[in-house]
Amino acid sequence: MELVNIFIKSAFIENLALAYFLGMCSYLAVSKTVKTAFGLGLAVIFVLGITMPINWMIENYLLADTGPFGTDLTFLRLILFIAVIASMVQLVEMVIEKVSPPLYNSLGIFLPLITVNCAILGGSLFMVSKEYNLSESIAFGLGGGFGWFLAIIAIAAIREKIIYSDVPPALRGLGMAFILTGLMGMAFMSLMGIDPSAIK
Amino acid sequence: MGLLDFFKRIEPDKKKSPLLHTAYDAFFTFAYSPDSTTQGGVHVRDGMDLKRTMIHVVLAMQLCYIFGTYNIGHQHFDAMGMYPGFLEGFHLKLSHGLIKLLPIFIWTHVVGLGIEFWFAYKKGHAVEEGFLVSGALIPLIMPPDIPIWILCVSVAFAVVIGKEAFGGTGMNIWNVALLCRVFVFFAYPTTISGDNVWVSGFADAAGTMSLNPGSVTDYSWWHTGLFNGLFEWMGLDTFKPGAVMDGYSGATPLALAYQGGWENVTNTFSQNQLWWGTIPGSIGETSKPLILLGAAFLLLTRIASWRIMFSMLLGAICMSMLLNLWGATPFMEVPWYFQFYLGSFFFAMAFMATDPVTAASTNTGKWVYGFLIGFIGMIVRVLNPAYPEGWMLAILFLNTFAALIDHYVLESNMKKRLASA
Repeated sequence: MELVNIFIKSAFIENLALAYFLGMCSYLAVSKTVKTAFGLGLAVIFVLGITMPINWMIENYLLADTGPFGTDLTFLRLILFIAVIASMVQLVEMVIEKVSPPLYNSLGIFLPLITVNCAILGGSLFMVSKEYNLSESIAFGLGGGFGWFLAIIAIAAIREKIIYSDVPPALRGLGMAFILTGLMGMAFMSLMGIDPSAIK
Repeated sequence: MGLLDFFKRIEPDKKKSPLLHTAYDAFFTFAYSPDSTTQGGVHVRDGMDLKRTMIHVVLAMQLCYIFGTYNIGHQHFDAMGMYPGFLEGFHLKLSHGLIKLLPIFIWTHVVGLGIEFWFAYKKGHAVEEGFLVSGALIPLIMPPDIPIWILCVSVAFAVVIGKEAFGGTGMNIWNVALLCRVFVFFAYPTTISGDNVWVSGFADAAGTMSLNPGSVTDYSWWHTGLFNGLFEWMGLDTFKPGAVMDGYSGATPLALAYQGGWENVTNTFSQNQLWWGTIPGSIGETSKPLILLGAAFLLLTRIASWRIMFSMLLGAICMSMLLNLWGATPFMEVPWYFQFYLGSFFFAMAFMATDPVTAASTNTGKWVYGFLIGFIGMIVRVLNPAYPEGWMLAILFLNTFAALIDHYVLESNMKKRLASA
């Protein structure tokens, strides 16, 4: 039950894209069509779900003062997390290329792009500050990824729709994407304030 | 044909003063169909053009306007414990309501239409009719005492960012009236939430609007000068200074239900009151039968989609039944059929969710869209302590996903066709 709460909370209530505005670069750049947005969204869910437990283990078994080095090494957190994310993305890319070439081709450049997606690093850092345990951090990672996925396919569908609108020339493209993101954030605020764990 | 002659006489020159002509054109087509005909490509030939459609929606809201005007006054006197009967002090209630409602109505239109006119002039086309409905909806979803400058700012935000940035009428993704309200809600929360804002015409010693003990009536020149003079001359009761009754809280039925469930509501309001709408709330949302009449009118004229209305009702019933089964807080235990006595469900269902521009446009999509609004709105209403009512935010939330729902409905249709081809 606790895990479901965390999943719902990170997907809808504390949405990485629309409440914290993380991962904006790829969110804005790859949301022109639903098809590519769908692929990137899936990749983000996947990478978040994998890096979260690994980073949790690094944080708790390597960097904490109870770890093998016996001292507090948490100042290395940022650089290690980024290294883990980058190497995981590379690994995932190689595995997908080997196992399923069609999926690899459809994801294309987006898979390596995820390395620099701040939603991934942000997720890991939130996990540390919220002091989740291992299973909670997996739920948090999958939920955060799912929320990001929903946000990017929703904005992609809207952007596909407003191609036919008479948008003022100055706002076409990125300008409109910013306005859309802001208004979507406003709409997502409907669920903010619900505390799933408080309702028993 | 006096009016037509008058219009012809005052028609400004289109070349010399284009802005004036845009404004003229808007009001001319309001009264008459233009005699200009379409050249070139074929258009749908039907008397039901965009403007007629909009006017029908506005017509459907008129009962809410009339009752809303009365109810502003009724709540005002109710707070002082005066004129409890429906017809007692009717003229006072009505004139107090008018004093509160008219400035809201006028300023909404001045700001909203002003921006529309300016954009139409800049883009060089005739004024679009879209603001007719938004402008009629916005006053109905505001508290009666909203400061006019806040209203103007929010209307400007909704029209510029919510509509003109998307290219004007028919292009917006989010409901303009709801964007206006949600802007007030997040930017100036104290003016639109809490127990103090739903009953108008009182101020405390510092001059701020409130219903705290010791607050006294806050009458303007319109009350004491114009209407009192008129009523004295007619030999009727006049506005007299008064104070808020002891123990009066101004809490809406929803706030009461949140604190203590259905019993807590019925301690203060009778079921009849809740149904007919003599309760504190936004101006137009309170009276359920009159809203349902408007909804029936929209359904008969086929302007609103019955799919959305029906599936939204279904979604709300499903969720409230689930909450009944769960029953963890007193609010969850409110029987599902009584949930509809509270808040603004019917108003949102009849006028907000059915907006054809922002709703999903495929038939299957409409079922999903409506159902999810009902479902999520009830979750927000009952489970979210941060917001008193859920429909505004649930509709905006589903507006966000309407395009996505349509996308997948279309895609699955295409797949089906390809498979059978």
